[in-house]
Amino acid sequence: MDLKAHYIAITPTLGEINWATSPDDFLLAIQLGWLDFLEKEWREHYYEARQGFTTLNILWKSEQAQLTFQKQFQSFKIKPKVLSSQIWEIPVCYAPEYGYDLGALALAHRIRVSELISIHASVTYRLHFFGFLPGFPYLNGLPEILHTPRKPVPDRTVDAGSVAIGGKQTGIYPQESPGGWHVIGRSPVQLFDIQRDPPVIASPGDRLKFEPIDSDEMEKMLISPPYPRKR
Amino acid sequence: MSKEMAIATLIKSGPGSSIQDLGRIGLARYGVPHSGPMDMKSFAWVNHILQNEVYNAVLEIAQPGFLIRFDSPTCLALAGGQATISLNGQEIEKSTMLSVKSNDELEIGGFQTGALIYIGIRYGFKSPKVMGSRSFYSGLTASGFLHKGDKLTYFNDSNATPLFNAKAKWSTDWFQTDRIDVYPGPDFHLLEDKVKEKLWSQAFKISQQSNRMGTQLLELVENSLPELPTNPVFPGTVQLTSGGKVIILGQDAQVTGGYPRILQLTDLAKSILAQKKPGQSIRFSLMRK
Repeated sequence: MDLKAHYIAITPTLGEINWATSPDDFLLAIQLGWLDFLEKEWREHYYEARQGFTTLNILWKSEQAQLTFQKQFQSFKIKPKVLSSQIWEIPVCYAPEYGYDLGALALAHRIRVSELISIHASVTYRLHFFGFLPGFPYLNGLPEILHTPRKPVPDRTVDAGSVAIGGKQTGIYPQESPGGWHVIGRSPVQLFDIQRDPPVIASPGDRLKFEPIDSDEMEKMLISPPYPRKR
Repeated sequence: MSKEMAIATLIKSGPGSSIQDLGRIGLARYGVPHSGPMDMKSFAWVNHILQNEVYNAVLEIAQPGFLIRFDSPTCLALAGGQATISLNGQEIEKSTMLSVKSNDELEIGGFQTGALIYIGIRYGFKSPKVMGSRSFYSGLTASGFLHKGDKLTYFNDSNATPLFNAKAKWSTDWFQTDRIDVYPGPDFHLLEDKVKEKLWSQAFKISQQSNRMGTQLLELVENSLPELPTNPVFPGTVQLTSGGKVIILGQDAQVTGGYPRILQLTDLAKSILAQKKPGQSIRFSLMRK
């Protein structure tokens, strides 16, 4: 594992800090440390700093800003951030009418549907960043037994709130969208709401846990979507 | 000089047209795309010649058969692709500046060159701001695209005479090239030499599967790139899928992606590409740093 940060200038005003390793809590703590450092020391020089699983990308306001940053890069001492202990409880109804791929997925992994659900709901997932759609959380921590290649042909529409598995990831669709992940349930929580500040739920570094609910609770919650509990 | 709210009504609009300002830069941390004009050069030009603010909202028109009625006098500027322009049913000279009176109807007919036409208006269009921007984006703004019957607000300009009568040229020469300048993307080094060779030597055709999220190219580029962790992508990022599809991301593209990021377009190349229609060819040309 190589935790040395590398910097590349992609264009005169776009650059990338990257790490030749796999995403995990330790790298996330380093990335969040870098984001704090950038925010504190360089904020007036860039438009945006974007986070991925193994990179941070910076859109600079000028060529000069990037050149100066790149020159000093090796001398920066970054303290990893202590990851938050906040856990968000996300209610999910794993009934087949919402999780229409549950049966096929359980069959593919040779486990019972009930086992699949209890494995998925038993662990906490670390939120790394938002991408794909406004408010779509990129989560790390899906147990290996549930890793599943994406569908060869994406579904034309996946409902808002759908909880799904794709590759090594699990996630929740904040809005209706085409999608290639296997849908195993649905959450009544509104993941993205422009009336809220911030519009998203949770911050990078927080953890999410899925709390199974039954169809009756789900129907009630769909009418008045709850804001998830934190602990 | 009086400045009152006025209304422009869309009488006809084809799919794909929208209102754009500079977009929502800085909100990628919530997964919100940039948006903003696909052809920044033409967008900036119409605001410049109207002596507007650089961020004023303009119309981005993607299809002929666009008809709009202005209920009060104002001044307009046109740039980008070139089309037949009619005022109250009469074809007019292709001039970049234009003043309209109450109830004038402006029509964009068949496109002769280019793929997107920008119509700027004095003081900018005043459609509602969502998260700091008037740029349309499905899921954030009330609608992703303009529709027949939409009413757009603007400030009237009762002294609406072109600000300086110089016949500012509606230039299209700058995008009449197939050359798309690119920098190597962060995952470029993963490509085999023969794949790189192919990228520089081949002409690529724009596919019908192209919109504000991305432009797909018809020719496939076989490769043996590994699956990569999801990382940030930007407008102008060129992705290469495992199936060999080349996708050039547009202004409404998602903020992160899992496909290898092999190239990154220059700002000018993004504007040039925005003016290409399906079926037209492009060639990638590597920038020397």
